[in-house]
Amino acid sequence: MLPSIFAFLFQFGDAFAFLVLAAAGLAIIFGMMGVINLAHGEFIMCGAYVTVAAARAGLPMPAAIACGALAAGIVGIVLERLVIQRLLHRPLDTIVATWGISLIATQGTLIVLGSTMPGIGTPFGSFSVGEFSYSVYRVLLMAIAVLLLIGLYLLFHKTRYGVLARATIQVPSMASALGVNTAVVHSLTFGIGAALAGLAGGLYAPTMTLVPTMGTAFIVEAFVTVVVGGGDVFLGTAPAAVVLAFVKALMINWYGQLFGLIGLLLAVIIVIRLLPRGLSGWILRGRE
Amino acid sequence: MTAILATEGLQKNFGGVFVARDIRFAMQPGEIHCLIGPNGAGKSSFFRLVLGQHKPNAGAIFFDGAEITALKPFERIRRGLSVKFQVPGIFKALTVWQNLEIALQDHLSGDSLAAEIRETLAFVDLAGQARERAGNLSHGQQQWLEIGMAISLKPKLLLLDEPTAGMSDDETAKTGDMVHRLNREGMSILAVEHDMTFVKQIAQRVTVLHFGEIFAQGTIDEIVADERVAEIYLGKAQ
Amino acid sequence: MSGPADMGSAKPASVPSAAGRDRGHRVRRGFLGTLKLVNGPQTLGRGPIFWSGFVVACLLAGIYPLFADGWTVGNTAYFFTWTFMAMGLSVIWGYAGALSFGQTAFFGLSGYAYGVLTINIGSAYGFTFAALVLAVGLAAVFALSLGYFLFYGRISGVFLGIVTLSVTLVLETFMAQTAGPEWAIGAARLNGFNGMTGMPPLTVPWPGGDIALWPDIPLYYLLLGAMIACYLGLRIVVNSRFGNVLVAIRENPDRAEMLGYDIRRYQLGAFIIGSSLAGLSGVLYTAWGQYITPNSMGLYAAALPIVWVAVGGRSDLTATLIGTLLVLWVFQTLTIYGSQYALVVMGAMLLVTVLFAPRGLIIGVADLGGWLRARLRRGRS
Repeated sequence: MLPSIFAFLFQFGDAFAFLVLAAAGLAIIFGMMGVINLAHGEFIMCGAYVTVAAARAGLPMPAAIACGALAAGIVGIVLERLVIQRLLHRPLDTIVATWGISLIATQGTLIVLGSTMPGIGTPFGSFSVGEFSYSVYRVLLMAIAVLLLIGLYLLFHKTRYGVLARATIQVPSMASALGVNTAVVHSLTFGIGAALAGLAGGLYAPTMTLVPTMGTAFIVEAFVTVVVGGGDVFLGTAPAAVVLAFVKALMINWYGQLFGLIGLLLAVIIVIRLLPRGLSGWILRGRE
Repeated sequence: MTAILATEGLQKNFGGVFVARDIRFAMQPGEIHCLIGPNGAGKSSFFRLVLGQHKPNAGAIFFDGAEITALKPFERIRRGLSVKFQVPGIFKALTVWQNLEIALQDHLSGDSLAAEIRETLAFVDLAGQARERAGNLSHGQQQWLEIGMAISLKPKLLLLDEPTAGMSDDETAKTGDMVHRLNREGMSILAVEHDMTFVKQIAQRVTVLHFGEIFAQGTIDEIVADERVAEIYLGKAQ
Repeated sequence: MSGPADMGSAKPASVPSAAGRDRGHRVRRGFLGTLKLVNGPQTLGRGPIFWSGFVVACLLAGIYPLFADGWTVGNTAYFFTWTFMAMGLSVIWGYAGALSFGQTAFFGLSGYAYGVLTINIGSAYGFTFAALVLAVGLAAVFALSLGYFLFYGRISGVFLGIVTLSVTLVLETFMAQTAGPEWAIGAARLNGFNGMTGMPPLTVPWPGGDIALWPDIPLYYLLLGAMIACYLGLRIVVNSRFGNVLVAIRENPDRAEMLGYDIRRYQLGAFIIGSSLAGLSGVLYTAWGQYITPNSMGLYAAALPIVWVAVGGRSDLTATLIGTLLVLWVFQTLTIYGSQYALVVMGAMLLVTVLFAPRGLIIGVADLGGWLRARLRRGRS
């Protein structure tokens, strides 16, 4: 009895961590800029590749992951300056443009680096409860997901950048009238979103095969979390991840991995019919 | 006589902010009624509640003797409501003619459709602009085009949200004239307006909203003479 | 079935009386009146020059098989199979303003449905065409149920895109894991990533032996005819009152609703039309090559219709059709020189179009032509 409860909790925590880490970057860019970044998966791939390359070059794992996140963040800032900035007033076109970027990035990586890259093993080994054994690294990922949410909360509520960024989305004209350089805020925000994607890539790199299309393994779940959550990371993404992780863990326990995904999709379609503006829109209802 | 539009205990709040607090409103058929009040008094919110774009937290809305509180916006329009938005709500990429055609195509067709479009164009003084892209019209002309679209539904009650915003004095006077002509044909009109000259030109009765509540009601002369009304405007100005 | 009583009030200088309009007025346009809608404000290309060009293009397409071998003609027919999905997306995205990224979901669903039906029942008595209708109907029903949740949930543009994309990706994942023998419907094995094979091509019942339409000249003519019929039919749809409302919703949904239109129903209608056409493409593609795989619902497959429609010019059917055929042709030519670069070029095409010709290349060229003509006319007078 106890081991199977633990198994469910572990699955729930694992799903929660994956959803939060996969979606955080997408949610910040969407919530702050109204842009759905379809190249999100490629930023994840970028982070994973750089992390593995740095780790193979001899860097310790945490430093390697930081390199991955940084690289993705820099690429994000550059792309924001070159492309996204010109399209901010045409949200549907940003989807199309970021999709173009995604195609170029995936196929470009395939051409330059080949179809696969040797990975690194999962660190820390495993422990067992009852008859099942569990990866220590995955427990660590759960802790990191929670820490990440706390860190983002502090970033957006306690730092100067965070206050300016929130001012920029709420009253753009007022922010620029007060002398905030909104273009810089947008670039930084996109960069942070991209870096978070890179972080997710770096963190999951040891657990996956490195292929140019690895981003697709993340995006459906990232999309689904953002759609259910709506435009706010703390009031949207986090509760959405809790709900969806619960649905997913249940479905996996009953029917297996694939039905976890199908369960997620059905949950989304039902949620949007009931709460068109997502969970955060519902939590914030009445505060327009 | 049954009121054309009436509300009972209408209430809407966003968290602790009340944009409508126990509003008991009624206007008679054939009336031109103006809704005034300082910024943030709840005028536009009242329109949204009447149109169904907001759901009230409590209270009921009656139109032409029937309750419409639960109806969807488009269902209310079909009952005989029509609106001109504050920001011109037109189809900018289409021609002026197409704009009116879309408004009228569910009611008329063929020659009678064309005749009605021409008549409406003449009424809003856009006969020469029929083939023009609506987005290329001047701001005042865009407002008139939208009035044309709104009245082509032959509403029993026409809602006008700041119909003269951004208009020259000339255009404002012309708009006031349109309102009077529509009213003479029997259309009831409810307008939100800031411009007191315009209000004096058209209004038969005036309701003053303040902090989501009905503050005063009466004929235009009574309202202008009311010192408390002057006070809330001045108080706001300070 | 007649207009409201007050419609005859056309007297000069009068104003519309405050009577309240009846709704549900139905136009009896007649057959010819309906055909006239093939020309209208919602479609570029209306004059005699355009229609002469159209006739010439049709004639050229008609005699083309005389100058090419069967294999090449069959290959051109392959291009045609995709155009239905493209024109459908133009209706949903270009005309109704709702961006769906998941049209391949309907493509794949119908393709697999055609396979399952024909593998189980066979191709005798023209059943392949019945299977085509059933498979497209299935796509329509799926679009109705998915679209109900999306549009009646008032999903805005960006969300619609990612939900539809998620649907097609989940379908791909699902089909990819059906490799085991337990995944079979009757005699039809789903076959996981390797895809389903062995279904018959479209087959015309004929006295003295059925005619199977392999990728060759007869199939080419069938698809050419279907493509032209679909193009002209959709021109009528977008210029009809229904099309007017779609464009109104794209331009200003609030205003459209405040004219008394239930905009959810119109968007759902456009979504069903476009998705059924994606389903039709799926069936024709499957019948063309007797083959369908989960990849046809994957990320790259889903990107393709977006590229065709965006590059050509989504807000016009003619631009979409020409753009689609053009991009397909460029793409195939590129593949000959190095298939791995084709996707990069495609991504770059999308990016360049969005940044520099947001209305599409063909519409951009058409706009430029109109502008030049206006300049010339002004110069002369």
